[in-house]
Amino acid sequence: MMIKTAKPLGYSAIRAHSILLPLAFLLSASFSTAQIEDFASVTDEMLISPPTGEWLSWRGTPAAWGYSPLDQINTNNVDQLQLKWSFALDDTGAVQAAPLIHAGIMFIPSARGVIQALDAVSGDLLWEYRPAPPTEEFINSGEGTRAAVLPPGAFAGVGRGVQKNIALYGDMIYAATETASIRAIDARSGLLVWETQVADPTLGYFYTAGPIVANGTLVTGITGCDRYKEDVCFITGHDPETGEEKWRTSTVARPEDPGGDTWGDLPLRFRAGSDAWVAGSYDPEANLIYWGTSQAKPWARAVRGSDGDALYTNSTLALNPDNGQMAWYFQHLPGETHDMDEVFENILIDVDGRKSLFKMGKLGILWQLDRETGEFIKGTDIGYQTIVNLDPITGKISYRDGMIPRIGEELNMCPSTSGFKSWRAMAYSPDTSAMYIPITLNCELATFGPTERQLGGGGTGPVRRVNYHHPESDGNLGELLALNIPSGEVKWRYRTRAPFNTAALTTAGGLVFIGDWNRTMSALDAENGDVLWQVRLATSNQGFPISYSVDGTQYIAMPVGTGGASWSGSLPNELAPELHRPRNGSSINVFALPE
Amino acid sequence: MIISMDSSLKKITSLFTLLSLAAVSHAIEAQSVWDGVYSDAQASRGEFIYREACLSCHGQDLGGNSNSPGLVGMGFMFLWEGKTLGEFFEKIRSEMPTDRPGQLPAKDYLNVVAYILQENAMPSGKELSSSAAALDAIAISSK
Repeated sequence: MMIKTAKPLGYSAIRAHSILLPLAFLLSASFSTAQIEDFASVTDEMLISPPTGEWLSWRGTPAAWGYSPLDQINTNNVDQLQLKWSFALDDTGAVQAAPLIHAGIMFIPSARGVIQALDAVSGDLLWEYRPAPPTEEFINSGEGTRAAVLPPGAFAGVGRGVQKNIALYGDMIYAATETASIRAIDARSGLLVWETQVADPTLGYFYTAGPIVANGTLVTGITGCDRYKEDVCFITGHDPETGEEKWRTSTVARPEDPGGDTWGDLPLRFRAGSDAWVAGSYDPEANLIYWGTSQAKPWARAVRGSDGDALYTNSTLALNPDNGQMAWYFQHLPGETHDMDEVFENILIDVDGRKSLFKMGKLGILWQLDRETGEFIKGTDIGYQTIVNLDPITGKISYRDGMIPRIGEELNMCPSTSGFKSWRAMAYSPDTSAMYIPITLNCELATFGPTERQLGGGGTGPVRRVNYHHPESDGNLGELLALNIPSGEVKWRYRTRAPFNTAALTTAGGLVFIGDWNRTMSALDAENGDVLWQVRLATSNQGFPISYSVDGTQYIAMPVGTGGASWSGSLPNELAPELHRPRNGSSINVFALPE
Repeated sequence: MIISMDSSLKKITSLFTLLSLAAVSHAIEAQSVWDGVYSDAQASRGEFIYREACLSCHGQDLGGNSNSPGLVGMGFMFLWEGKTLGEFFEKIRSEMPTDRPGQLPAKDYLNVVAYILQENAMPSGKELSSSAAALDAIAISSK
């Protein structure tokens, strides 16, 4: 990698976009440079088949396996792993980073819009994009509505500010912001090229998922759709050159549209939820993107005023990235009523010649769909939930007797509203033909309550919660579950007192990497679940571990951080109170074998 | 009518006791969030603390989101009606903010409670005391 060292690092980026930063910072000489010279543009072909050692999409490739084909680090030598470098990330918000690797550079999304480019071998900072603080006028524009932005200097150790993933395409880094805009940043310099406001943040709209690029279109999914307003949640496609919006597909069936009657007679303003808060996958042969949607809001049917299916909530949507048209949808949980989200990652695997899509929601049902048609192929209930029955032939769910919540009546349910599965993405290994799934074992006594049906109201609806350990957990919150694909049979389980708090990463070295809330990062044998190596990091492991190589050396990178959804703090605080983590310590930690 | 001193004293004593009980009873009944139990100055200070320490999760309008309960309106009343201000104060003092629970000065928590009451359109009045007994004596109820 060649770096031009002519001017102070980030000076131009900071001058252009963050003029309120202290002069001393602008003049700091502790950073070195800004211009990356030998940066090859990222093409569509590269995204689909990344060059050796590169990690170009948030889960490695558009198929989202979370799998690295590198095998230098393997079951025989992983116990020799050493820390090569670590880099502190901002503690001003939640870090759930999914780093990317290209041209020997790590691009990492940090809290509150910060993006950094680091030398992937040394950890040296190459450039930093740091958005300017919002103006007072903008902060105050949301009077009477939910806070869209934070006042400058506000403490924000929890809650918003998450940007899970970014996208690389051409010469740009693309990011989606907590103020409902998307940004293109020059990957060579860190300079902002364009920013497009996609939605009004004062209505509650924001992003936590970043974009993907599919067939030359930049695609993002919005969230923050829980409050009643005169619009609904959506996914948009943009021109990567200009940011111009090419299409917008609602994730909620409008009253006049097909499926519009699945919300009963509720007008558009009271059709909330269906947030698209996890980035999608892409199949270039079918030219379809696959994007999940969240549950309807308010969570409970009785509170939202309809017991209809509420399309297209809790669904997998297959969209043409060129025009946003829906090729098919599969609604996993029609008329969902317990906050059991199905929005998560879509893993594209060809099984016995059948082009399949795998996903799992909070209930712990592993779905296998035909990704060309949306047809249900198989459902595997991992056996912990107490809410629905799954018809193994049709894939239809039905609620168990007495399990549909009524307002004010306590319901005993597993999982809790935090779910068994959340944003912590599972990973697939083609070497073992198995899926490795981070699970949080827990249950809840839940009492759902009413909410105001008026513009600005709504939301999830209140819930009185009493969390408790799952009866089969032996007091453990964390489980890494390995399931054989496609049988769904349990290959092994690895349990820990603390919940796992990262995605899983599989490698061709026969390994699975994962991190827990209690600072322990582990490497396990993918075949049998044996723990082969562990290390304690600064604070909770949090985000999406990756593997990459530069100049023949393989690296494993693990992000850590605090804050952020879903329930990253409350479950361990309540059910494993003897565990404690530092409130700061967000960082990226990179490991390799001894030289 | 001749009334014996003994009888008269008894009656006076009984009357006094009844009046006292009534007064006490009246004092307890008066201790609801609708009886002017916080001051405007406390709520004003509480708003500042709220913006610094609570807003990022519970929102500018205190309405909450998927991970943080709402602190106003029906949602707040559903979660807290029938409990006391002492229980509410203790909940946030011991558990909030979630990443540094209990780390604010007690007075700040008290001021945030005052701000939340104000945002729920409960009337201001006398200063809210941090005494546990005083807070426990204030019921959270709908109007």
